[in-house]
Amino acid sequence: MSKRTLFAALVLTSALTGGAALAADPAVYKIGGIFAMTGASPHYGKVMSAGAQLAVDEINAQGGIDGVKLQLVIEDHKSGSAQAAVAGMNRLIDVEGVKAVLPSFSTVTLATMPIGDQKKVMMINGGGVSAQTVGTSPYMFNIRSMASDLAAGIAHRAAEQGAKKLAQIAIKSEFGDATIAATTKAWEGMGLKMVAAEQFQADAANIDTQVAKLRASQPDAIANWPTTPQAGLAVKRMRELGMKQPVYCMEWTAEDTKVAGKHAEGVEVVTDYFAATDENPWSKRFADAYKAKFGEMPDFYAANYYEGVYVIAELIRRAKAKGGDYYSGERLVQALWENPTFDSVYGKTLTFRKNGVAQKPVAVFRLENGEQKFVKFTSGE
Amino acid sequence: MDLLIQLALNGLFNGAHFALLAMGFALIFGTTGVVHFAYGPVYAVGAYAIWALAALVGLPFWAAVLVGVAFTAALGVGCYLFIYRPFEISGSPPFVVLVASLGLFIVMKNLIGIVFGTGVKTVDSVAYNVHFVGNAFFTTVQVGQVAAALLVGCGIALFLRASRYGKAIRAMADNREMATVIGIDTTRLSILVFALGSAVSAVAGALVLLRDGLNPNMGFGAVFVAFVAVIVGGVGSLRGAVIAAFLLAFVQSLGMWQIPTEWQNTIVFVVLFGFLLARPSGIVRRA
Repeated sequence: MSKRTLFAALVLTSALTGGAALAADPAVYKIGGIFAMTGASPHYGKVMSAGAQLAVDEINAQGGIDGVKLQLVIEDHKSGSAQAAVAGMNRLIDVEGVKAVLPSFSTVTLATMPIGDQKKVMMINGGGVSAQTVGTSPYMFNIRSMASDLAAGIAHRAAEQGAKKLAQIAIKSEFGDATIAATTKAWEGMGLKMVAAEQFQADAANIDTQVAKLRASQPDAIANWPTTPQAGLAVKRMRELGMKQPVYCMEWTAEDTKVAGKHAEGVEVVTDYFAATDENPWSKRFADAYKAKFGEMPDFYAANYYEGVYVIAELIRRAKAKGGDYYSGERLVQALWENPTFDSVYGKTLTFRKNGVAQKPVAVFRLENGEQKFVKFTSGE
Repeated sequence: MDLLIQLALNGLFNGAHFALLAMGFALIFGTTGVVHFAYGPVYAVGAYAIWALAALVGLPFWAAVLVGVAFTAALGVGCYLFIYRPFEISGSPPFVVLVASLGLFIVMKNLIGIVFGTGVKTVDSVAYNVHFVGNAFFTTVQVGQVAAALLVGCGIALFLRASRYGKAIRAMADNREMATVIGIDTTRLSILVFALGSAVSAVAGALVLLRDGLNPNMGFGAVFVAFVAVIVGGVGSLRGAVIAAFLLAFVQSLGMWQIPTEWQNTIVFVVLFGFLLARPSGIVRRA
């Protein structure tokens, strides 16, 4: 090809792309995941990474994004170590060159958020519930309900079931502190009495003292905020010790059911609503594929991170369609605000509100024979 | 008042668990001088072995405990012979052995996750009851923890006082060089205390399996409590370690009577720090 022909070809290409600067596609679109792969709560890392990987595999099986494959790069935050998370975030950005990261856990999300903000990398959290992640960085988005939303949902549920005095138990962490504060605000805002708020260290196996104080406060209902597996352990202890009050959680996994055993029966979980139904073909397809690959049904965490990958893939497509140097955190965020609505595996669509939090249906589930049975939708905002 | 009684009972039961862990650690540390941080994962592996024997192999729980205790004793001996003993032979300073024990801790902890998975392990085949005294409560497993601490404590005390090996262990704990001079086989005794100490930890692990279930990180809290109890109790004193274990548990429990429980660990260590400042040689001073 002569120089003249090459120049003509470049001019023609430039004209066809509307004069936008040409940008090469990367060899692969790397998406970062900062998950709890080890430490006290590896269950979360297992399901979150499984959900995200399934989405990556599905998108790649369909040819990726215009032929360019996705790759999930996982860093381990050891179940909430801010130090490990920060190191992982830096590695993802500086070594792997990711433009979008899926963090998990409130502590981890808060610790890595300033890095994402500084280096202009988009972050989509599907696990942590701290309100402090909301509205503090233009690069931070949440695709799960925040503690304040879920606490309000639980307060309404407990009140409608006749509770006047509520007691809380939580891990001493950013998540625990945020949840206790949000619940106290919601509960006392309805003119009702909070009689106890007990906390324990994340790695504590023995919580007898905390449960004894809960029992002594004689509540009508208990808000059980620990994460897996202590949520199950707390319920086991309460029930063994003769506490028959209704127990409400915003976190409950199969691990908790295993730990609590027969005592899990009747526990209510108020959380993001994910259920695979025939009315929602994508949810059914996702659940079937997840079960075939991992041997168990997905929970809402798996669904959130699965959905998170699809949102990022869609943003890359939209940014690329606009042309120019499209593959950057700034362009992904810009593409999101140009149209904040996406297909949702939860059913129909999800829309990011102005505070960067996606609105999702919040529902009450009851544990029956080890399964979470849908009870009703509830007020969660 | 009900709460105070309940917290006192919790202190008693947790104290029994801590005492079991502290006795095993004190036997090893007090006799050999090895700061065996891998005691934590050895305890965890013992508990996982009992779980595997009961839940996977299908042995009756009591048989699983017997086999598990023997296995844990062998594992403890293996730690000594293959990790610590070579350093002893080469005359390495104690901090080298300490670093080796930390390395072993990390390796074993990660191996637990790889071999058994990172999920929580529980045993459903053993039913236990809840008992009430007035408005306070306790479970059969907690009674078992106190009974085990009493039996193991009395057994070890009797062994140390009355048997030939026990007397030799006391001599070695008192002065290792002198024990060697008078012809005591300190290597054989080290093997014995690693076996005994590890076996005791497996008893504690079996009861925790029933009470709370198992997770791969359970070893850290266990060795931490045991180490603190041994230091506070007075290094070399089994009685001191047991007293300190109960003190630790009672402060952790009763200390929360009028204080929010989020302060639990802070209060415990403020009290212990103050105690060590006042009595740096520990509760039981050695002659």
